[in-house]
Amino acid sequence: MSAVVSETPLAGVVKAAKKPARFSLARRTIITPILLSLLLIAITLITVMTGSRPFNQTVIDVLVRVIFVVGLYIFIGNSGVLSFGHVGFACLGAYATAWLTINPIMKSSALPGLPEWLLQTRLPYWEAAVLAALFAGVAALIFGRVLMRLSGIAASIATFAVLAMINTIYSNWDSVTGGTSSVVGIPIIRTIWPYLIGAVVAIFIAWAHAISRSGLALRAARDEPIAASASGVDIPKERLVAFVVSGAVMGLGGALMAHSIGVVTPDTFYLSLTFTTLSMLVVGGMGSLSGGVIGVVLLSALIQALRWLEAGVPIGESTFAMPKGLQEIALGIIMIVILALRPSGLMGNREVTLPRRNRG
Amino acid sequence: MSLLALSDITIRYSRLTAVRDVSFSMAEGEILFITGPNGAGKSSLLRAIAGVTPVAGGRIDLAGQEITSQAPENIARLGFSMVPEGREVFGSLTIEENLLIGTGMHANNRGWRTRAASELEAVYATFPMLKERRNGQAGLLSGGQQQMLVIGRALMTNPKLIAIDEPSLGLAPNITDQVYERLIVLRAQRGLTLLIVEQSSARAMMVGGRMILMRGGQIVLDGDARTLGNGEAIQAAYFGYEDH
Amino acid sequence: MLQILFDALSLGSLYALGALGIALIFGVMRLVNFAHGDVIAFCVFALLWPSTDAMAIVFAGQLPWYLLVPFVLLCGAGLSVLCEIVVFRRFRKANPATMMITSFALGFVIRYFLLMLYSSRPKSISLLPTLSQPVEIFGARLPLLQLITIIATMAILIGLTLFLRQTRFGLEMRAAAENFSMARMLGVRANRVIMGAFALSGALAGAIALIFGSQTGTADIQMGASIMLMAFIATVIGGLGSLGGAVLAGFLLGAASVVMQVMLPVDARPFRDAFVYGAVILVLLFRPQGLIAARGTKERV
Repeated sequence: MSAVVSETPLAGVVKAAKKPARFSLARRTIITPILLSLLLIAITLITVMTGSRPFNQTVIDVLVRVIFVVGLYIFIGNSGVLSFGHVGFACLGAYATAWLTINPIMKSSALPGLPEWLLQTRLPYWEAAVLAALFAGVAALIFGRVLMRLSGIAASIATFAVLAMINTIYSNWDSVTGGTSSVVGIPIIRTIWPYLIGAVVAIFIAWAHAISRSGLALRAARDEPIAASASGVDIPKERLVAFVVSGAVMGLGGALMAHSIGVVTPDTFYLSLTFTTLSMLVVGGMGSLSGGVIGVVLLSALIQALRWLEAGVPIGESTFAMPKGLQEIALGIIMIVILALRPSGLMGNREVTLPRRNRG
Repeated sequence: MSLLALSDITIRYSRLTAVRDVSFSMAEGEILFITGPNGAGKSSLLRAIAGVTPVAGGRIDLAGQEITSQAPENIARLGFSMVPEGREVFGSLTIEENLLIGTGMHANNRGWRTRAASELEAVYATFPMLKERRNGQAGLLSGGQQQMLVIGRALMTNPKLIAIDEPSLGLAPNITDQVYERLIVLRAQRGLTLLIVEQSSARAMMVGGRMILMRGGQIVLDGDARTLGNGEAIQAAYFGYEDH
Repeated sequence: MLQILFDALSLGSLYALGALGIALIFGVMRLVNFAHGDVIAFCVFALLWPSTDAMAIVFAGQLPWYLLVPFVLLCGAGLSVLCEIVVFRRFRKANPATMMITSFALGFVIRYFLLMLYSSRPKSISLLPTLSQPVEIFGARLPLLQLITIIATMAILIGLTLFLRQTRFGLEMRAAAENFSMARMLGVRANRVIMGAFALSGALAGAIALIFGSQTGTADIQMGASIMLMAFIATVIGGLGSLGGAVLAGFLLGAASVVMQVMLPVDARPFRDAFVYGAVILVLLFRPQGLIAARGTKERV
């Protein structure tokens, strides 16, 4: 019964994929990435104006997480397949930038197993970040070739196995990754602009993928798998495209995160980051780019507010401070409440856009 | 007093309205066929009575109690037993286990164990094939045997009313005949009320009783199956020819 | 040789019990419960008196074993049922991703609750100290504990099988796991079955807590997580929702880990887990529905 009604939106999508229509689709939807970028720019400008160092660092963290969550969205949001493995690509990106940017003298003592040409290389951070993204994208291509044949929970678990594999290898390959000990000496970038640019680029990549023929086909397959494959959508192939694009964005995020803190360990990019970023995406709304970005901003703001409460807030004469650990408990409870009230996330499948003035 | 009464039932699946303002009632012991083309809303209606599909509006009463939006397990306790479309046997369970699930809700009553045993014997008497294979996996039965099993399973709950969704689906005509034979015998033996959904009205005309014809989520005809059975009116209703 | 077999069996036991706890809940409500690992940790900490000191103050841990065991099992079952009533009941109709993230958030709450009461430092506890003595069987010296782990696991598995096969409640649970709405239409009470599944799963978490706690001699907030990862994977390659498959895959994973530890060249041993995960991906590629595909859980594309 439902197949009958849903014929219309799918037909609409396929029609939209044709050339002249695509241009109007781009014009119609570009307002979403612009609005999201403006939101991030506004946050950044406020930060720069306050000039506070710790606040600066906090907002850099937010921007890095935006890159991660947008990267997750590109695959999860468009394909509907939950992936636990993407933080693994962030790990690859972070180590790649470490290999490319650390001072050669430090590198040859800490990571003697690297090939000679890599030991001698020292690139500026932005070149390294681009290469890190490409490296992660290539890794995603290799893993994705194998994994994209799977669907549903089997695919989720397989991506999880990828994460665990990457973590195990990077935790034990001492001569190349330094094992579980921290790799130090990555140039720390303290200005906020590169992170803002990274986040905005990620948002526009996600938008461009979403309106591309591949992205449209993938979303059609997510909503109506049978109808989509009947109309010739090669689901594994379209998933692979999304997987590679999102893997590269995760690599970019990993590289920038490495430059924001200056050290990397394999466990920085493991379960806790996986769940933080996934939670932000799901709370914001898995099927929506705006949901991802808004999820990051809101949950980050919430975490920050709870931290302040934990540090103590003066109320009149006395200071009110939450007991330690309550911050995380409160965060967990708030997430559960949001999901109970809005099971498909704050945004659901909708995107932020301007109110329509004239339709048609 | 009617055993089952629906008034102004509306069912929606997001944007699609599957059933719109449907009302009818059934007396005890009655046999009622609901027929109509694919997508008429017949199955949705049955599932709504059973409590597994939420209704968007209206009211359902069973045996003098309102059951709108009640949990399926509570509706079953009031004597409504459902044989869903596609039969839905528990394939990994044995045949006897399939039959016994429905007796669980009487487990708090005194003497349920002996009652369950005698119910089981009664079902086996009606469907001897089930007894032969009582410890076999239900998933391995043929379509016709599964249909017998799910009717037996519905009987085990000791219902007042059995609703069957397309008992002929996927069965050869002679097997369908057998299923109906048993149903008619059972109805006579136990004074059951039967609510049967079928796509075609041919079976209803053969068996007799009352017939409701649905199209596009609404009732278009309601009357005696045999009188409605004369061609034109029913064809017009079924295919929606409108001559005005 | 015998030593390897016993190592494999006892590690497999933990994975199998963990996988069973997840599969039971998945079976009745399609929830992959990430909070399960934190229920395990909770059960261990229930033995200690809340304090943030490094020294553990043993509380219930001092009970004689015949009280200790039921106490821990009840703790697990109680917490698990509480999670159902307070949280998961509201998510029955939510999509699997939402439920997963919810269970993760809930686990997070439990973990930090423990952290607040006990601090994050691992504490040493000696549970049932008499069990660490070695015994000699067929010429191999084995810790008595390992033997008891295996025997206890077998007993739990047999008991659970009997429960599911012979009792009315077990029948209802199996029916509900296969086709929940049909079971309800036959009068099976949804809440009762789901709470039963949570209680059983929680009791299994308690059993793991006891075994793992006595094996390692420490109470650590992270302890649930390491078992859970493997158990979670075992549930999927066993065939989500299939209890037999979960147990089988748990033992297989345990065996694979132990055998690879022995067979791999020395240089490759640190990467053992990477090989295990690689094997997991291979199994999934060849049998995406799991080793034993459960009925009624067929997924859409």
